[in-house]
Amino acid sequence: MIYDEPKFMPGGDRYVLIEFGSEMNLELNFIAQGLASAITASKLKGVVETAPCFASLLVHYEPNTIRYSDIVKELHAMVGQLGSPENIELDSRLFYIETMYLDPWTKACIEDYSAKITPKEYDPAFVARINGLADEHQLVRVHSGTEYWVASLGFWPGLPFLMPLDPRAMITCPKYNPPRTWTPQGTVGMGGSASAIYPVATPGGYQLFGRTPVPIWDYERRFKAAFGDSIVLFRPGDRLKFVTIGREQYADVEARVKDASYIHNVVGYQRFSVKNYKAWIASLDRTERF
Amino acid sequence: MLEILKPGLETSIQDYPGRIGYWNQGFPPSGPMDSWSFRMANLLVGNLGGAPGLEAQYMGPTIKLGADTVIAVTGADMRPKLDDKPIPLWESVAVKAGQTLTLGPAVSGARTYLAVAGGVDAPDMLGSVSTFHKAGVGGLDGHAVKAGQTLPVKSAKGTAGRKVKADKRPTFPSDKHWTVEAVRGPNDDWIDEAGHKQFLSFAWKLSARSDRTGYRLEGPDWTFTPKATNKAPEHGSFPSNIIDQGYPLGAVNLGGQTPIILVNDGPSMGGFICPWTVPSAAFWKLGQAKPNEFLHFKELSVDEAQDLRRKLDATCTLDSIE
Repeated sequence: MIYDEPKFMPGGDRYVLIEFGSEMNLELNFIAQGLASAITASKLKGVVETAPCFASLLVHYEPNTIRYSDIVKELHAMVGQLGSPENIELDSRLFYIETMYLDPWTKACIEDYSAKITPKEYDPAFVARINGLADEHQLVRVHSGTEYWVASLGFWPGLPFLMPLDPRAMITCPKYNPPRTWTPQGTVGMGGSASAIYPVATPGGYQLFGRTPVPIWDYERRFKAAFGDSIVLFRPGDRLKFVTIGREQYADVEARVKDASYIHNVVGYQRFSVKNYKAWIASLDRTERF
Repeated sequence: MLEILKPGLETSIQDYPGRIGYWNQGFPPSGPMDSWSFRMANLLVGNLGGAPGLEAQYMGPTIKLGADTVIAVTGADMRPKLDDKPIPLWESVAVKAGQTLTLGPAVSGARTYLAVAGGVDAPDMLGSVSTFHKAGVGGLDGHAVKAGQTLPVKSAKGTAGRKVKADKRPTFPSDKHWTVEAVRGPNDDWIDEAGHKQFLSFAWKLSARSDRTGYRLEGPDWTFTPKATNKAPEHGSFPSNIIDQGYPLGAVNLGGQTPIILVNDGPSMGGFICPWTVPSAAFWKLGQAKPNEFLHFKELSVDEAQDLRRKLDATCTLDSIE
């Protein structure tokens, strides 16, 4: 459900949570990011930062500068000015992320889990099966066949929650139960309808089917051109495309990362138009699969 | 410089307000859990309130001082000694190069703060030196201090013998029961009135499985409104599941049936409801409560919580020092 009027909810003395609806619908995230962008442009006094999530926007403010009732009033007016979601346009970088699907490292991780925690089907075969795909090779075609939208980041600093922009690539799967104790750095996986890349080796619960050697976490500041002033690569509103590579290309990228000569492949001139996007998906046959 | 002879249980470099502005990339602010005591320690030695200092948790460190300077110890009472002589808390103290500061186990409160004139000198990482252990960011090497490490200190002069006025120091309960302020929301409409009443009346035990990311509370099961059970499947299967949302710091986050207060190193988002939020001015109490102590929540309106924050910020100034 998309609400007619967003809900404003207080989070203690210094946060407002604005909820736009109660479903997983990309349009709600576009609205959240559209409002975040409008807040930044307005330079509203007292706003410290914003954090969009799937269907909501969290606003962190300085309570000594602006009272709750006043910031809600200001934000309410801004939501009004956004008008229809169709009007929203956002700066959106596009990253090409070289990824080896069906790789040996996540396979070993799944086997380790099966041996030590609880036996389970090979993740790519499982996800293909429950989504009615022919096999794991079709899963790779479908999963790599779309641009992904960075809806939000969290769970771990720099971990992007990715939604497929092409509805023909929409698949879903449950999370691990119980979760894994470890996941290789750079693993690509998914849970629910979101995909993610693990910035570093961490526990996790997503189904695993690929691995990227491209750094999305740069603690030592070796890739400043792509990371800017942060040590994590992605921001909300970025897009990315997984580019399938084999073992040799993986090794090549890995070597470039090691000697810091790797250059992130990023397109920086584009604006994402919700109107154009919606017109495009309306023209698609959603029953098609790659 | 400060030479770490014994690190204590978990002693880390922090500054205030910490790493602000990266919540949308998943970075928590970190910083001192009890920013009241922390800011006072800095003001005593002549620093700005937010300057980098040390937070010691439960069991303090032993530190050899590398230069004549001025220090201040505040917060939990770890019976600080300079060589073998006890030194007062809440007071700036002159120290000589070669002397050893020893902090023991906390006898009241949980976290002790050490400020040194000039402040600890650590590399800036995203606008702060605060240590965020979980991701290995901040401090000297991303983690708590270790034996044998030497922490550089910026040079500055301090004045010994300055004290925090008696009525401007936080007081810790002697009976292990804390009254902690809380504000309804953001997801209070998922909990029924009986659940809210229980939250406000029960003595919640602080679990030993608590750390700078979250404070787990032990207590009765929560009860929900129909909203929690009649919902779209994408929210998740538990009553406390919600479509992933941004978390306010201080949120009482309901993971299944276990409430976890998200504190300084907490997660920025997730798929559980947050029916209540502990406001910033009550964080010092969380910082000083120990596992197996009890939290009693007292409802405040947003305005009252903001007034409390103003009052605390007005306390954490030089006017409170004599």
